[in-house]
Amino acid sequence: MAEDRKYRWVGTRPIRHDGVDKVTGRANYGADFALPGMLWGKILRSPHAHARILRIDTSRAEAMEGVKAVATAADLPEQRPGGATDLSNNILARDKVLYHGHAVAAVAAITAEIAAQALDEIEIEYEALAPVLSLDAALADDAPILDTARRARGMDDTGPTNIAARVDFSRGEPDQAFASCDVVLERSYETQTVHQGYIEPHACVADTKADGLVEIWCSTQGTFTVRSLTADVLGLDKSRVKVTPSEIGGGFGGKTTVYLEPVAALLSRQSGRPVKMVMSRDEVFRATGPAAASRIELKVGATQQGQLVAATARLWMEAGAFPGSPVQAAAMTILAPYKLDHLFIEGFDVVVTKPKVAAYRAPGAPQAAFAMESLLDELAQQLKIDPIDLRLANAVAAGDQLPYGPRYKTIGMKETLEAARDHPHYSAPLGENQGRGIALGFWFNNGLNSSAEVYLTEDGTAVVVTGNPDIGGSRASMAILCAEELGIDVMKVRPIVADTETAGYTDVTGGSRVTFATGWAVVNACRVIIEDLRRRAAQIWECDLEQVAFDDGRCLPVEGSGLSHDPLSVAEIARKMGSTGGPINGQAQLSARGAGPGFATHLCDVEVDPETGHVDVIRYTAIQDAGRAIHPAYVEGQMQGGAVQGIGWALNEEYLFDDEGRMENASFLDYRMPVASDLPMIDTVIVEVPNPIHPYGVRGVGETPIVPPLAAVANAVKHASGVRMQSLPISPPRLLAALQEQAAE
Amino acid sequence: MQRSFERPQTLEQAIGLLEKHGDAARPLAGGTDLLVQMRAGLLRPAVLVDLKGIEELMSLELGADEVVIGAAHSTASLRENADLVALFPGLLEAAELIGSEQIQGRASLGGNLCNGSPAADTGPALAVVQAVCEIAGPNGRRTLPVAEFLTGPGATALGVGEILVSLRISRPPARAADAYLRFIPRTEMDIAVVGAGAWVRLEADGSCAEARLSLGAVGPTVLPVALDALVGGPIDDAALATAGEAASAAARPIDDKRGTIAYRRQVSGVLARRALRIAADRAAQRS
Amino acid sequence: MTAVVIPNGLRAHCEGCARVEVEAVSVRGVLAALEARFPGFGAALGENVAVAIDGEVFQDPLYEAVAPESELHFLPALSGGR
Ligand SMILES: Cc1cc2nc3c(=O)[nH]c(=O)nc-3n(C[C@H](O)[C@H](O)[C@H](O)COP(=O)(O)OP(=O)(O)OC[C@H]3O[C@@H](n4cnc5c(N)ncnc54)[C@H](O)[C@@H]3O)c2cc1C
Repeated sequence: MAEDRKYRWVGTRPIRHDGVDKVTGRANYGADFALPGMLWGKILRSPHAHARILRIDTSRAEAMEGVKAVATAADLPEQRPGGATDLSNNILARDKVLYHGHAVAAVAAITAEIAAQALDEIEIEYEALAPVLSLDAALADDAPILDTARRARGMDDTGPTNIAARVDFSRGEPDQAFASCDVVLERSYETQTVHQGYIEPHACVADTKADGLVEIWCSTQGTFTVRSLTADVLGLDKSRVKVTPSEIGGGFGGKTTVYLEPVAALLSRQSGRPVKMVMSRDEVFRATGPAAASRIELKVGATQQGQLVAATARLWMEAGAFPGSPVQAAAMTILAPYKLDHLFIEGFDVVVTKPKVAAYRAPGAPQAAFAMESLLDELAQQLKIDPIDLRLANAVAAGDQLPYGPRYKTIGMKETLEAARDHPHYSAPLGENQGRGIALGFWFNNGLNSSAEVYLTEDGTAVVVTGNPDIGGSRASMAILCAEELGIDVMKVRPIVADTETAGYTDVTGGSRVTFATGWAVVNACRVIIEDLRRRAAQIWECDLEQVAFDDGRCLPVEGSGLSHDPLSVAEIARKMGSTGGPINGQAQLSARGAGPGFATHLCDVEVDPETGHVDVIRYTAIQDAGRAIHPAYVEGQMQGGAVQGIGWALNEEYLFDDEGRMENASFLDYRMPVASDLPMIDTVIVEVPNPIHPYGVRGVGETPIVPPLAAVANAVKHASGVRMQSLPISPPRLLAALQEQAAE
Repeated sequence: MQRSFERPQTLEQAIGLLEKHGDAARPLAGGTDLLVQMRAGLLRPAVLVDLKGIEELMSLELGADEVVIGAAHSTASLRENADLVALFPGLLEAAELIGSEQIQGRASLGGNLCNGSPAADTGPALAVVQAVCEIAGPNGRRTLPVAEFLTGPGATALGVGEILVSLRISRPPARAADAYLRFIPRTEMDIAVVGAGAWVRLEADGSCAEARLSLGAVGPTVLPVALDALVGGPIDDAALATAGEAASAAARPIDDKRGTIAYRRQVSGVLARRALRIAADRAAQRS
Repeated sequence: MTAVVIPNGLRAHCEGCARVEVEAVSVRGVLAALEARFPGFGAALGENVAVAIDGEVFQDPLYEAVAPESELHFLPALSGGR
């Protein structure tokens, strides 16, 4: 249970423990690692978006001086049914290439230049097939089929299809309920393929020893995931693979899978030397996980007073080359924040000849919220109801059922809406060509498996060991939780991120779970230590364990116990560790349940240039329920980062493909993420509705903030210009065209 | 292929190196175009001839009649010269748009021109102030107006062994000023969708004596737009609308990932109007 | 009896039922009971099933306890949801 007490460290803003290394440029990232005798690996990528591989001849490359290994899919074990077939085929294509940039072969050589030259010497004969570059193209009756053996999951036998799966959720009788509504809006929304845009490209070094043991150093969100997936692809026991994480320069979900690691391990096995691989930005764009393009058809019915009655949603999402778009999560979230007695949601996972999508912050939810929050804005306007009031009137609360079954416990949805309504931003005046948009976001948050070890040193300071790569300041939060529990100075705690053989099993840094779940494990590990400290105090005082209390870093006699010892601090007991039973360590592991969902409300002001279609975000406020903010600066950082990425998604980001399926803008110059000067300071308001199940009331915060901005921006553009953009991005040429169309009407 | 890096101290040495190695050699100023192209594998020069050791290319002279800007002088340090900024606010606006703070520490006007990109920001700005390119080569020196120096996408009038030494610009006469605007979807780190350089000289009564407009990124090279219709009248909304239409009509853009033909035409007119307005306001303040 | 809510996509495998009551003390028991009543149901459900029991979602639920008054929802396994 969340405890209501005064905290000494929780809620403060100590500098991050990894901060000095980072600001002085000494932190080591994926590409910084090197071993003696190391080779350089490079990947040959498909020049076609869709083709059959007829023949691969690597003999000329193998014969080159300086080339030590050449690998193709033929060097990887066949996967058993249900195994890692798609992953294996994604990292080295077997029979078909399914996107431009799909890996087909790899080379390791003594220099990167020789490796690059060797790629040119690999001969591949392709039979080019027609690319499939959109949902429409994939779903057309005569569409080229990516995998003719595949059948749609969750559908009656469809025959060969590009639909990989279908999901649905329903409640009540929406079709009948629409008839009783005063107003029914039916709209269609589209979003394009976007990339996570982490600054650090994928990089790794792999060293396969003579006995087959594999050691990997890489930048990843999940060392245990890399271990597991690499072992699966190579057909190894998981204990044969060791993964050590570097510092990580962003991931946002995109570093929760593998691209290079198994290939580097394979090249290392073949050459007997360590192999380093580093992607270029071009490769990152062409071949690593973007987020899914989507189309959503949404119908919502309401009463004149603004009571939502019924809704139906049909969602299609691009999975890329292999199944696995986040359409299910999108379907689960799209109507989740609102009370609706009648609903039907249907989602389709669709394969296309584009890179396989990967997770990107709250996968599926931004696209879904873009649709729902845009439609509600239109509904509010039509009913002449304030858009926040409309949402408040229909907001879910504890006890309400989600569209997919479970019921809400304590949540902070209304609190974020009320905070938005009461914020000075909401009533600030607007100028000419300016408009304000609001939108709400929901995300499940995740728990999953975590381990933690806490080692007390002999002077009473502490080392906290976890297996979660620190992507957003989590080490500082682990240290704060440890300091709070043990009552020691937060800067005397050293939080580290350990390799897969030092830390106990821990799931990926993702799902907004680290501070919630791994933090909880740290708390439990500290409590093991506190029990031990009490036991030692009892030993020293020659009294019963029950007579010893622990408070604020000291063991002291329980009130009324009749004992009158001076308190013993953690440091004092630590100094006596040898004479009181030996080292003082705490360990804990858990499968964390009850990750309370996150809600956020965002306010966005834009100014539209009516002559160029340029949109300038002039004010932005992100309001979010964090449960409890352990380190508020990093909660705010998550809220700001999510808002900025969502703004980019709304305004300019999109993959552009030519007719052959080649990405045309595979660089940060032409893939237009926002730069710092594009944006105002993103203001933040942390709302705290503690998660009742967590010892500190924590909810995940990392993903929710990317959910509202797409619609917040689009709604603001509508109120600034009169044009409602139902298709993203709202890039200047698209908005100008829409403005001119409006003027012509 | 043997790669070598040369840093000559005189123009003669530099020209000699370029002549000797021909196509295998490349002059290097800030390298913010060249090094990027080399890393992308588009160019593999065997010999890099760094021009930054040559004094004349690094100089900046504000003479009585004329300003001379060394071709390799970094745009960041041009910006630091308040007198230069006051003389040619438009040119400096263009220079200030190049890349970012870090890029401008290296980038030069010479590199921007010699790279020959149709979207280069300083091209239109230099054209409207009628900058003259001072060129040195195996056959001695010659000069060319910027508009003639730029000959097409990636192409300039430079012959084998020739180096752009400096840009010479006459001091503006009374009641004259320049301005530069570009359109990009973001605020920096982007390539012009349209760029517009404007220059206006006013009569004492405020009417237009002379007006020049050049567009970037909407043609194979910098596009001049004739504005004779403006001369003699006031620079008011009607005049600017006329100029905007002339700009849209003059633009010869292509469709690409950075913008469509229709969009670039439209924005050419918008920027033309806005840049002329700024130049006219500045000129009026110089009365 | 524990109530099991069947999603649309699986109803074809349990004679169209939207809600089934079974006697079980764990999710494993629920699955066994469903399979006994509707042979082939387990195969249709597939391997990586997630459930919600009384509001709480379990990604790996086989050994989770259910009470007679529990309500259990099947969720198609989350993919791409990290
Ligand atoms: C991140 C980034 C952002 C950028 N943004 C912009 C922008 O907003 N606007 C813009 O216009 N450009 C931009 N650029 C391009 C580039 O910075 C400019 O064109 C810059 O002015 C080039 O100058 P430089 O001195 O670096 O040229 P260099 O790269 O050194 O040279 C460019 C070319 O000119 C030749 N050359 C250079 N000097 C001479 C000379 N004196 N005589 C003969 N040949 C010569 C070189 O051989 C080479 O071919 C950007 C580049 C980067 C990397």
